[in-house]
Amino acid sequence: MSIIGKNIPHDSAPGHVSGESVYIDDIAPSRNELLVDYFGSPFAHGRIKSLDLSDALKVPGVAALYTYKDLHHNVFGPITQDEILLVEDVAEFIGQPIVVIAAESRAAIKAAKAAIKLDMEELKPVLTVAGAIAAGQYLDKTYKIERGNVAAAFASADHIIEGRFVIAGADHFYLESQACLVYPGEYNQLTIHSSTQNPSEVQHVVAHLLGLQLNEVVCLIKRMGGGFGGKECQATHPAVMAALVALKTKRPARIVYTKDDDMKYTGKRHPYQNDYKVAFDSEGVITALEASLYADGGAYNDLSTAVLGRSLTHIDNAYYLPNLLAVGKICKTNFPPNTAFRGFGGPQGAITIENIMEEIAVYLGQDAYEVRRKNCYGVSDRNVTHYGQLLVNNTLPQIFDELSQSCNYAERVTAVKKFNAESKTHLKGLSFTGLKFGISFTNKFLNQANALVNIYLDGTIQVSTGATEMGQGVNTNIKMLVADEFAIAPEHVIVMTTSTEKNNNTSATAASSATDLNGSAAVNACLKIKERLNVVASNYFAGREIGIGAYSDSIVYEGGFVFDERRPHVKLTFPELVNLAYRERVSLGERGHYITPSIGFDWSVGQGSPFLYFTNGASCSEVLIDRFTGELKVERVDILMDIGKSINPGLNRGQITGAFIQGMGWLTTEDLRYAASGALLSYSPTTYKIPNIYDTPPVFNVDTIDNDCTVNVKGSKAVGEPPLLLAFSVFFAVKNALSYVSGKEIATLVTPASGEEILSRLTEYKLKAAGLPFTPWPAEAGSVLQRAMSRAKGYSLIQDSVSAATLAEGDTIKIPVTVNGNGAGNGEEPLNGTNGSALKASEDEQELATEAAI
Amino acid sequence: MRDYILLYVNGREQRISAAQAFQPASDYLRLDLGQCGTKVVCAEGDCGACSVMVGRLATEAGLEPGNELTYVPINSCIQYLYQLDCTHLITVEGLKFDGQLNPVQQSMVDSNGAQCGYCTPGFVVAMCGLANDLQSQQQCQGKTCYPSEKQVKDSLTGNLCRCTGYEAIINAGMAVDLGRYKSFSELYPDKEMVANFKAHAQNELMLKLGGRTAFNPTSLSSACKFLNEQEKVVIVSGGTDVSVNMNKRDLVPANVMSTAALPGLSELKVLDESGRKVLSVGAKVTLRQLENLMKDLVPEFHKILWVYGSPQIRHAGTLAGNIANGSPIADSTPFLFLMEAEIEVTGCGGVRKIPMAEFYKGYKQLSLHKDELITRILLPLPHANELVKLYKISRRQHLDISAFTAAIRISLKGNIIERAFVVFGGVGPVVMRCAAVEAALLGTTHELVTYEAAGKIAKEVITPITDVRGSRDFRLALAENILSKFYFETASNEREFACR
Ligand SMILES: Cc1cc2nc3c(=O)[nH]c(=O)nc-3n(C[C@H](O)[C@H](O)[C@H](O)COP(=O)(O)OP(=O)(O)OC[C@H]3O[C@@H](n4cnc5c(N)ncnc54)[C@H](O)[C@@H]3O)c2cc1C
Ligand code: FES
Ligand code: FES
Repeated sequence: MSIIGKNIPHDSAPGHVSGESVYIDDIAPSRNELLVDYFGSPFAHGRIKSLDLSDALKVPGVAALYTYKDLHHNVFGPITQDEILLVEDVAEFIGQPIVVIAAESRAAIKAAKAAIKLDMEELKPVLTVAGAIAAGQYLDKTYKIERGNVAAAFASADHIIEGRFVIAGADHFYLESQACLVYPGEYNQLTIHSSTQNPSEVQHVVAHLLGLQLNEVVCLIKRMGGGFGGKECQATHPAVMAALVALKTKRPARIVYTKDDDMKYTGKRHPYQNDYKVAFDSEGVITALEASLYADGGAYNDLSTAVLGRSLTHIDNAYYLPNLLAVGKICKTNFPPNTAFRGFGGPQGAITIENIMEEIAVYLGQDAYEVRRKNCYGVSDRNVTHYGQLLVNNTLPQIFDELSQSCNYAERVTAVKKFNAESKTHLKGLSFTGLKFGISFTNKFLNQANALVNIYLDGTIQVSTGATEMGQGVNTNIKMLVADEFAIAPEHVIVMTTSTEKNNNTSATAASSATDLNGSAAVNACLKIKERLNVVASNYFAGREIGIGAYSDSIVYEGGFVFDERRPHVKLTFPELVNLAYRERVSLGERGHYITPSIGFDWSVGQGSPFLYFTNGASCSEVLIDRFTGELKVERVDILMDIGKSINPGLNRGQITGAFIQGMGWLTTEDLRYAASGALLSYSPTTYKIPNIYDTPPVFNVDTIDNDCTVNVKGSKAVGEPPLLLAFSVFFAVKNALSYVSGKEIATLVTPASGEEILSRLTEYKLKAAGLPFTPWPAEAGSVLQRAMSRAKGYSLIQDSVSAATLAEGDTIKIPVTVNGNGAGNGEEPLNGTNGSALKASEDEQELATEAAI
Repeated sequence: MRDYILLYVNGREQRISAAQAFQPASDYLRLDLGQCGTKVVCAEGDCGACSVMVGRLATEAGLEPGNELTYVPINSCIQYLYQLDCTHLITVEGLKFDGQLNPVQQSMVDSNGAQCGYCTPGFVVAMCGLANDLQSQQQCQGKTCYPSEKQVKDSLTGNLCRCTGYEAIINAGMAVDLGRYKSFSELYPDKEMVANFKAHAQNELMLKLGGRTAFNPTSLSSACKFLNEQEKVVIVSGGTDVSVNMNKRDLVPANVMSTAALPGLSELKVLDESGRKVLSVGAKVTLRQLENLMKDLVPEFHKILWVYGSPQIRHAGTLAGNIANGSPIADSTPFLFLMEAEIEVTGCGGVRKIPMAEFYKGYKQLSLHKDELITRILLPLPHANELVKLYKISRRQHLDISAFTAAIRISLKGNIIERAFVVFGGVGPVVMRCAAVEAALLGTTHELVTYEAAGKIAKEVITPITDVRGSRDFRLALAENILSKFYFETASNEREFACR
């Protein structure tokens, strides 16, 4: 019996529950270890006029202070090399490191910080996407995906909605903050223990900035206390600082960010401001989409180019867009560089089309699920993505149909309508959203991995790969895959600490593909060893059993034994075979290498097949809102996913629930509030509220469909990131609830749908219903940075006259392509549309909604 | 005078001198003892990763120290060592049964309750605390019984997990076989500890390091004398405010005086004062003890206490501390204003009572004399026929500080409002009764238009600010709307619409 598909506990679980698992900050200090920290820029944008370290150097317990002058190089970056580690002249974000401090104690570090004399001229920062657009300040070029004839589609459109959708960032809030411990070795060698998703990158950046050869730097990572993308690139910064100290002082050096510093000074999920214009017919089927995605990249590129790329390839989510023009830009702002975060830009693209679906439904007075179902990718037609990839074995229609049935969608919509008509105190909302997430790195060369498998004479195995364990269970998956190859007990396989010494030139544990890539590489290594073992075994069995030749193809591994399938009664235990092989001088170790087959993408034309396969799903959420306070409760969630055949269903379920709740936090309670200076105000769990145990929905149905993914290891599919997108349904359930009170307007909502955001919308619609004006909150900018507003306006081109009604905010929505033939949506002009007479929602419903408004 | 702290960690005695005493327990465990299972994430009580069990000589509501240890979960990051004199800490390293994972730990493994593992020690400790309580309360010994979903969730609101989405943790909690769970007193027989604590308790603890002093008086007179004689004394009760200020806001008090060893301040009982029921809350009564009592006595106040901080916070924090902290967004004070509570304070010259309405003189300014401390709170309880509602608006339901609070108390004669009390918090520098709104309500009919009109007035007379927890406009809208909400929740003909 294969162990694939079994619920084996996480390999670190016994250590976790007894407090015995070791993280960087738990490693016992060495006698002469130094603590490392840094002094950063007080301004979001500022020029250093003078820096005087003389007093700080005199602080007792301070061992050394370093600036950019002490680095070999100071410029780096994973995609474009534009990032400056230690400020030389101009600081680009609050907290950007200027001085690295090495000291004997935390008290000395604190005193040193106080004694550093920095004179800095404050420059005007750019703190909003709009500000960056106005200043023409972008990182990298404009990216574009185009298909069909957008202009023609708009010219012949029945209906058009134009709008802006504003998406907030989020903090990763991994519980273990960035941490690194560096031991100096002989000559210039360094051994780095880093809490990183990408040990090779730590190795590369440290070597590059310190002027070392790559072979002088070893980076190890046993486990992370959470990563979520936040330790894909940004683990390098603390690593370089600690490595600099270790190299210069020849003493072990440890840096561990406090949670507050980590939240204030490291990059987050990219906020986006997405402008869209969508054409659709009276059935609600989309005929064309134009979208301009503006990602807030922060001060440096980091991974923004790739993040934006994924937004553009995921602008379709689960829906077929026959004509499309999607362009994307990365705005440069004075925030810490935004970085990878579970979903990697995919969510910010996909949520835009889900927002559009919700708006089309309201505009046409149709059910939003029906609209989505009509637009859903097909199985045999309407099954090619906007970048030209064919959806093979598309399970989306099946998932939509099964989940809408199993969650009783239709009846519940009726119940919600009734509830909203009756309740004077509460509002309900219901929404069903889809999910299609492409699996593979969009950079082709990253789709490779290597693994080292060593078998010892007692038949136990050590496996090493480039995958890093951050709780997702990749090590448990790999252990199961290797145990399965030799049909031995999983307890006899250990996945070792990840180290660049054993696995070189590895890719980040990211893009949900760690098991796909590293697991496949480990299996490949096993297969090579098995080839040799099979020869040993077949010779052995041929010698024992008269009449069977030595056929290595008929060797079978099962239940801890090895035998020839033609004579199954004669068996060797696995350790016996290993010993035989050893005595035959057969190598019992192997490296496996794996490359993802047949993928590729060309950004110069925006076309290709970048993904090996897609992980699909859908979810339906029901929410309850207090009309007086805006308080939100998620009452029920139903999820259905296609994740292929699970290697370990228990671990996968944890990925689904964990990702969903994380996505829900991003879209509801997690609010990054900034001061007008650009300083983060919600920089600790006191003010930054990730979901709590009572926020997990009381009814939470999670299921998967039966499907076998033929192109990936053991028929499995990646599951790390995709379910985060399922949380869209919570957000749109709020939007759906608002549609009952928004009168003739398409209800708008910015993320996160916090109590305050919801109450502000409720207040807006209440005032407007009474014919009173509404000023967006906060009405006066004052101490906090004001956020951009979402908006939406629909109009019909079937109408004879198109009267102009500019958006309430009077702000210009720029649509990238000029549509000829009619006056609407023309180039840089303010958005036009009819004054709501085209809204198809039935009069009854409108009345009901207004009545229900309080 | 004694110059060392007596502490047991996982059954082992530790004597801690002043040199180590001025640090949180979490640092002591991790740095001094090298026991790194206890994690520190936020260092301010807001994540639970640092949870440990603390066993004290029982001071069950109203009782003075008995002969056994009572264990509660606390956040070790905001418990400084001098607060923990004469206690027994059980950390995640001390939970196994005979070297084997205990049923809670095993259940967390089996249910995939741990992913990255960083939150796990805290969850395991809190869950063991629940199992310990339940198996003694429910006499599960030898029988199969499990915690309910509500019990599991209620015990874990103080622990954040970023990986699991909590589902697996809830399942793990509900699968713990309580019949197989051994109590802490069985794991760590406490006879010797109890004797040792009692022997030490009478000897006042005084620790001096550099210019800093920590003092645990054993009598009120000694406490008042210390307050009177020393400059800049910071009183510490649960420390859930004070310790956060030390960790995060550079508070380095020259003198800290812990109430831990003061006798007579643990009383919690209902007095009958000429027909009116008045609750007497000793200054050392924890919010958790109050919560337990309020469950049946004043469910409306219980509702607020239930979401107040977390179990770890409520097991440490006190009502006295909440009042003395003087925050305009404190959650207990609106109710105290509403019920016209009195604060009993004791100084060198004796005892006096200060009406709640006179207790605050401005933002964090108290009517306390230098030598005084709070010893008791006298809280009149609502009459059965009064309409009383309390509101806490925060970004997240549990473990969050309010953006806005309100308390409304109405007496009706027929359908006419005879008495009205309206209190707001989070709309100005202090929690305040809103006279203009009260006046608008008095003598009018208990109907929606009345409250809508009162809401408009509320909005006119308050002057909230915009901060990280919410904009000025948000708070204005809440103040306006909350009166209508009150109407719907209290009007008998409307109740059917109010939902859950
Ligand atoms: C994570 C977290 C969550 C929280 N959640 C909430 C919440 O939901 N709602 C809420 O209202 N608060 C909350 N708080 C704040 C805090 O828990 C409360 O204010 C608590 O009641 C304080 O009680 P304490 O005994 O811990 O006070 P301490 O910290 O010991 O003291 C607080 C203040 O009172 C003074 N003081 C203490 N005892 C006396 C006395 N006997 N006489 C005179 N002065 C005294 C102290 O000198 C200090 O100034 C939270 C705090 C944390 C860390
Ligand atoms: S470390 Fe977060 S509560 Fe103590
Ligand atoms: S398991 Fe990672 S934070 Fe809970």
